[in-house]
Amino acid sequence: MKILIIEDEIELLIVISNFLTKENYICELADNFQKAENKLSIYEYDIILLDITLPDGNGLELLKLIGKLNSKAGVIIISAKNSTDDKIHGLDLGADDYMTKPFQLSELNSRIKALIRRRQFDGNNLLTFNEISINTDSKSILVNDKELTFTKKEYDLLLFFFINQNRVITKEALAEHLWDDNIDLADNYDFIYTHLNNIRRKIKTAGGNDYIKTIYGMGYKFTEL
Amino acid sequence: MKFLTKINRNYLILLTVTLIVVTGSAFLILNKILLHNTRRNLIEQATLIKKQIAERSELPNIYPIIEVKKDTQNSVTKPIFKKIVIKNAREDEFEEFLEYSSRIEVKNNFYSIKLRESTFESEDLVTILTGTLSILLLSVLIIAFFVSKKINKTVWKDFEKNLQEIEQFSFTANKPLQLLKSDIEEFDRLNKVVNNLTEKLETDYLSLKEFSENASHEIQTPLSIVLLNLEEVLQQDLNEETFKKVLISMNALKRLSTLNQSLILLTKIENKQFIADKTIIFNEIVTRKTEEFSSLFETKNIRIELELLNDFAVKINEQLAEILINNLFSNAIKHNLTDGEIHVLISEDEFKICSSGEQNSLTDDNIFERFTKGNSNSFGLGLAIVKNICETNQLDIHYSKNRLHCFNITRKNEMKK
Repeated sequence: MKILIIEDEIELLIVISNFLTKENYICELADNFQKAENKLSIYEYDIILLDITLPDGNGLELLKLIGKLNSKAGVIIISAKNSTDDKIHGLDLGADDYMTKPFQLSELNSRIKALIRRRQFDGNNLLTFNEISINTDSKSILVNDKELTFTKKEYDLLLFFFINQNRVITKEALAEHLWDDNIDLADNYDFIYTHLNNIRRKIKTAGGNDYIKTIYGMGYKFTEL
Repeated sequence: MKFLTKINRNYLILLTVTLIVVTGSAFLILNKILLHNTRRNLIEQATLIKKQIAERSELPNIYPIIEVKKDTQNSVTKPIFKKIVIKNAREDEFEEFLEYSSRIEVKNNFYSIKLRESTFESEDLVTILTGTLSILLLSVLIIAFFVSKKINKTVWKDFEKNLQEIEQFSFTANKPLQLLKSDIEEFDRLNKVVNNLTEKLETDYLSLKEFSENASHEIQTPLSIVLLNLEEVLQQDLNEETFKKVLISMNALKRLSTLNQSLILLTKIENKQFIADKTIIFNEIVTRKTEEFSSLFETKNIRIELELLNDFAVKINEQLAEILINNLFSNAIKHNLTDGEIHVLISEDEFKICSSGEQNSLTDDNIFERFTKGNSNSFGLGLAIVKNICETNQLDIHYSKNRLHCFNITRKNEMKK
């Protein structure tokens, strides 16, 4: 998977590309409009992360260029502007997703994976971790080939853990993933416990292991036992 | 009142006053002239009669115009004029006459002479005068009416169009103001002034908008850099103390970013950057949010009761309606008790959300103020945003507490029919 990251803040560029490289993506970087334009006209990418506000041009123009080049790349806009107008405008111009800064790397990872699944780049709709599998087409969860009934939130949580294996994920990141940042819960994340307990109980009842490890009571990590 | 109506009305008043004054003075002047003429005629006549008596000793008598009699009194009197009324035998009506009477001496004989001349009746005079002048006035008015109608069609049409254009103009619509040119200097001057004014306002508006957006951008970017790096630090093998410190720092930064976004949202609402382009049915959003937040209710074991009597429809920006309901819901969940309750009542002109919660000292007056909070974990901006959204969308919101804490949204009075 080849990803082009277009972002004018070098520090952001570095931390994002380091993360994505660790996640086995091939990353190319562009820190201005000109470089991005050149790369886009020469190479093919699977995913493009696009910052709209660039010092020497508007990212939306690059979006138009991607459309003109008939590129198959999926585009995720990463913008500091939490503006619905920009969001709608960007999506109208062919972007697949829109993320507002600041976001978490685990969330970015989840969005990229979702985009890949939607685009069916690898045609793989079954994610498996030992005895647990998730079918992303039918949105069903199987433990030892037996289908479990999960609520939508529980499904979303488990999928998020699957995608961010071996990563420490904070309660806040989980809450944000579930609620898309549109509810102010004042640091009250009790509901995360409820969801996690439900997930653990359901998997355990079906004879599966609990791979969700709690870290110092403040974070979680989905990992081998 | 329309400009033309005003002009026409002024015209009418002016012409009526003029008519009365002109008729009045014309009447007085004409009356005076006619009377003067009659007197002169009568005096002339008297001289002629005197001459006739002297030459031919004839006493002419034509009733009621001339009456000459030999008089027994031997004195000469000066002529006296007076007005008298005589019944007209033929037409059986009264007629006004000016009478000249005097006693004269001709060859040692004394004669009394009464000469009368019918005066022009003042009633007739007034009728004729007002009649003529009214016809004149009416024709002027009719002509003025058609002329102004014609002017309206040509001259005022462009003006009306421009007026409409200005009425519909909005900075948020992103469409420049285009005023029609006319061949009237004053209108062109007005267009120029309006154009300059809107251009100036538009630049100010845009720079303000740009500033608030740039401020957001500038703050969010460094925050992102810190947060992403801290997230990576968290992935290392940390001891509990360091782990907690990193996490607390991340949460504090996240709060800073939320605070920044909330303040920018408030500014944008106050600057009216959200266009109320749709009629939003609150019931739909409430139903959706209830579904969305159901797991949050479950966690605290909150009982939710929806009483949707009728559609509460408001012309409002969709995003703002979402934020409004979102904030009220999250407020009701956040400050609720375990095993608490939430009641939502929606009718045609009311949206009411009540929830159980701890006692607080907040009142309707201060609960919506920025940074007023009942709970140290929140910013106290959620309800300030709610209040702002209501204010910019002709809605009233009130807080009251009894057993439950209630927020009540109604349309502003002037919106009610």
